[in-house]
Amino acid sequence: MVEQLNQLDGIDVHHRDDSSGRIVITQEAEHIHDEVDGLKRIKALPHVVLAEMVYHCFEEDDELFEAVQPELNEQERIAVIPPYLNK
Amino acid sequence: MEITRREFIKTSAAAATAAAVGMPLSGTVQAAAKEAEADWQWDKGVCRFCGTGCGIMIATKDGRIVATKGDPDAPVNRGLNCIKGYFNGKIQYGKDRLTQPLMRMSNGKFDKQGKFVPVSWDQAFDEMEKQFRKAYAEKGPAGVAVFGSGQYTIPEGYAAAKLMKAGFRSNNIDPNARHCMASAVVGFIQTFGIDEPSGNYDDIEYTDTVITWGANMAECHPILWSRVSARRLSNDNVRVVNLTTANNQTSDIADTEIIFKPGTDLAIWNYIAREIVKRDAVNHDYVSKHCVFATGPYDIGYGMRGTDKYAFPAENDTQAKELKVKLDKWEAIAQRKKEGEVVEQKHRDKPVAHWLISFDDFKKAVEPYTLDFVAELSRGNPGEELASHKEKLKELADLYIDQNRKVVSYWTMGFNQHYRGSWVNEQAYMVHLLLGKQAMPGNGAFSLTGQPSACGTAREVGTFAHRLPADLVVTNPKHRARAEEIWKLPHNTLNPKVGSHIVKIMRDLEDGQVKFAWVQVNNPFQATANANHWIKAAREMDNFIVVSDPYPTISAKVADLILPTAMIFEKWGLYGNAERRTQAWREQVPPPGEARTDVWQILEFSKRFRLRDVWGEKPVAGLKEEGYADGTLPDVLAEAEKMGYSPDNTLYEVLFANAVNKKVKWPDPVAKGHDNHTARALGEGWFPEKALFNEYRKFGVGHMHDLAEFDVYYRDDVRGLKWPVVDGKETEWRFNAKYDPYVKTGDFEFYGPALKALPSGDLDKPTSKEKTSLAGKAKIFFRPYAAPPEQPDENYDLWLSTGRVLEHWHTGTMTQRVPELHRAMPTAQIFMHPEDADARGIKRNDIVVVESRRGMVKAVVETQGRNRPPKNYTFVPFFDEAVFINKVALDVTCPMSKETDYKKCAVKVYKA
Repeated sequence: MVEQLNQLDGIDVHHRDDSSGRIVITQEAEHIHDEVDGLKRIKALPHVVLAEMVYHCFEEDDELFEAVQPELNEQERIAVIPPYLNK
Repeated sequence: MEITRREFIKTSAAAATAAAVGMPLSGTVQAAAKEAEADWQWDKGVCRFCGTGCGIMIATKDGRIVATKGDPDAPVNRGLNCIKGYFNGKIQYGKDRLTQPLMRMSNGKFDKQGKFVPVSWDQAFDEMEKQFRKAYAEKGPAGVAVFGSGQYTIPEGYAAAKLMKAGFRSNNIDPNARHCMASAVVGFIQTFGIDEPSGNYDDIEYTDTVITWGANMAECHPILWSRVSARRLSNDNVRVVNLTTANNQTSDIADTEIIFKPGTDLAIWNYIAREIVKRDAVNHDYVSKHCVFATGPYDIGYGMRGTDKYAFPAENDTQAKELKVKLDKWEAIAQRKKEGEVVEQKHRDKPVAHWLISFDDFKKAVEPYTLDFVAELSRGNPGEELASHKEKLKELADLYIDQNRKVVSYWTMGFNQHYRGSWVNEQAYMVHLLLGKQAMPGNGAFSLTGQPSACGTAREVGTFAHRLPADLVVTNPKHRARAEEIWKLPHNTLNPKVGSHIVKIMRDLEDGQVKFAWVQVNNPFQATANANHWIKAAREMDNFIVVSDPYPTISAKVADLILPTAMIFEKWGLYGNAERRTQAWREQVPPPGEARTDVWQILEFSKRFRLRDVWGEKPVAGLKEEGYADGTLPDVLAEAEKMGYSPDNTLYEVLFANAVNKKVKWPDPVAKGHDNHTARALGEGWFPEKALFNEYRKFGVGHMHDLAEFDVYYRDDVRGLKWPVVDGKETEWRFNAKYDPYVKTGDFEFYGPALKALPSGDLDKPTSKEKTSLAGKAKIFFRPYAAPPEQPDENYDLWLSTGRVLEHWHTGTMTQRVPELHRAMPTAQIFMHPEDADARGIKRNDIVVVESRRGMVKAVVETQGRNRPPKNYTFVPFFDEAVFINKVALDVTCPMSKETDYKKCAVKVYKA
């Protein structure tokens, strides 16, 4: 498990507690959607029961975030917006 | 230096995380962690998102939030955060944050057809006042409305409700929480006589059986689900059953998944009740001491309008069922009637009426719900063998009935957003009460909540069209008198007529009944079903819509005036979560630009009205039966003068900045260096949030809703307290003598005071008018299966359910900060079965049209995603304004709770 995690980009394993099966990692990413994607990637690993965010640091982050949906750039444009809202 | 700092931060984050989950750490690591955060200021806060109420810690530096973490001392989440919680620190930093008031203008003047132009706060309030006065003069108190929220802080909801009810004498304030838990409220009030759960989240660690009904906890309440998972994985005896209409992630941990047909949960509960009776598993001691049996009318409609005047032509057939329903085979058996019988919906106006029945009648009522009948009716996956479904239902009954098992039932929107949502809530208590498995550690039926303060504000403060604080209601003269006393109002100031619920406010806008509406802390024009009507109402009718919003939501865009609003950590506030836990936070950072809090906006607006404007005689239709002169709410100005008020006093002076409240001074040591820009902007040296909380608290203390003092919630050693808080102690399990100081006699006492004197009758009607007192008892309701009013047919051949997904919250205002016009594409998908897609020549990732009688949207098809529906069933999440699924959804509501059924309507799907 630890090896699998260490192989992922931007992931460092810091602490592990074998008795309870818990592992503490940090993840670094450029954008918030990469962070969200990163968590999904961890959740998809075999033998992972739960993966949750605990600590979120963005001290040096001056960029305003634009989107949180990683699928955002993978699909083509269709926008079904009420006509009133396009005025 | 950069690398060292980064390493420090990572060490610190990892150390904090390890500490949060109870992993041992060396002193060196701890010291390094402290150094990394040396110039940060940490303070406790509450998650902005769902009703779980997780504690978070927030770090600020130089007026900005720099980090957040799960609060290790918070009993709810014990240091964890879900992915939404992770966004708390960033939600206020979206690019399209609104920072100044915007009004539709042409040639320097307000124009409903004009474009949004930045204006000053004074200009904004000037136009708002003018438009309010126009509507109020023309239509009276019923012509103005507030769309309130389950995301209001307690002081915000209290200020809004007080301004509307005591100031403008209008009960037209209703929260979006109507959409999420009104059915749960009706279930509580009807069953226990008092709102909100008997148990708490610790039930998870005490129980050995977790049954989820219409609640995708894994995605929608992930932190509670992590506790359920931990419980399941650490104990082989624990069983988890997921009842759902489509496979979802909650089934991953569940031992058994039961897929049922939409609406048939009503029948499944009655099957369990029948088994309890047949196996003589009724806990007779508990039931005879603490419960009575009851039922009510079946012919109560579906919460639609009683006229087709406003319906689109395609809606007519569904709308007609509001008045007359032809019973299908299943309903006929379930209701002991004849198939094909046409039932006029005679009790549309009095759906909550109910009466006592005997245990023998109850037994007779559940008799038709045999395993054979219910299994055939309820099987939701056509691909599953009937025998397998039957086996699972039997196992479900076995788990509930097993005397050696504790059982908790959890539900969310699958029950509450239901054309018979109040019934299905009552049925959950029916089973738990029959078994005596309620109100004790590890045993109980528990309604999970969707919004952060649906309980704390919408329900407890009472920002509903019929409510006042602490379970008081506007229709009860004694309750009004009590509110008038606490609020220091002349007798008969409060309006006894229930206002419009949130769906009706939309209908009133379309019908021309409401001419002025103010949207606070929610996005109703995206969130209300059958949205084409309401968008039209906002833009084409002669009315004025004000929207207070931090971002340009659909509601903001259809408005006439947008007020830029401060967000959670830019203000002081308190929330109340689903387990009665009240939690508080301080202002952490200033709001951007000219954005201001809702409290400031409400109080500033109140300065513009004098008592003479609002406390004179007002037209209110239909007051005769309340004992008033017909059509008139009386002039109370003379009595106001006797109380020392002048007709020239402003509502601000009388309701808010009165002598008592102004004694609550700002600055206050409880701030510990934190600012309060609301207090500073008001500029009179008082602390509005604290003063309003103190006043609100008077309603509950000694009346079963006791809250602690304001400052207690800000103490470092307090992480929220579950009310009633009596003698400084919170209450873990209500109605249970071991835990609840309000229990005066016996081991259990269901002491809620509401609806506790009933006539008696048989299964069809009350037979005697004489009322029996049920003090201290809970009601076990019989409610029959009734069919959904709109079901798939030849033309609209698929079920559609809407709901949430993990990463987004509600309408995505905060979790999805993308200006839609700059957006690449919609992100909400339609989840459907691969064979249903095949049959329509559709492939995964195709763009399709989803069309109902009411409207259509385009979406991208997903056939392999995390939501795997059975055949004939589709699911579209509602967070995405570019996939505006509420244009398609049906505005049927539970007739009792008026909560919309977002889970059942019929659509067709074809390639775009």
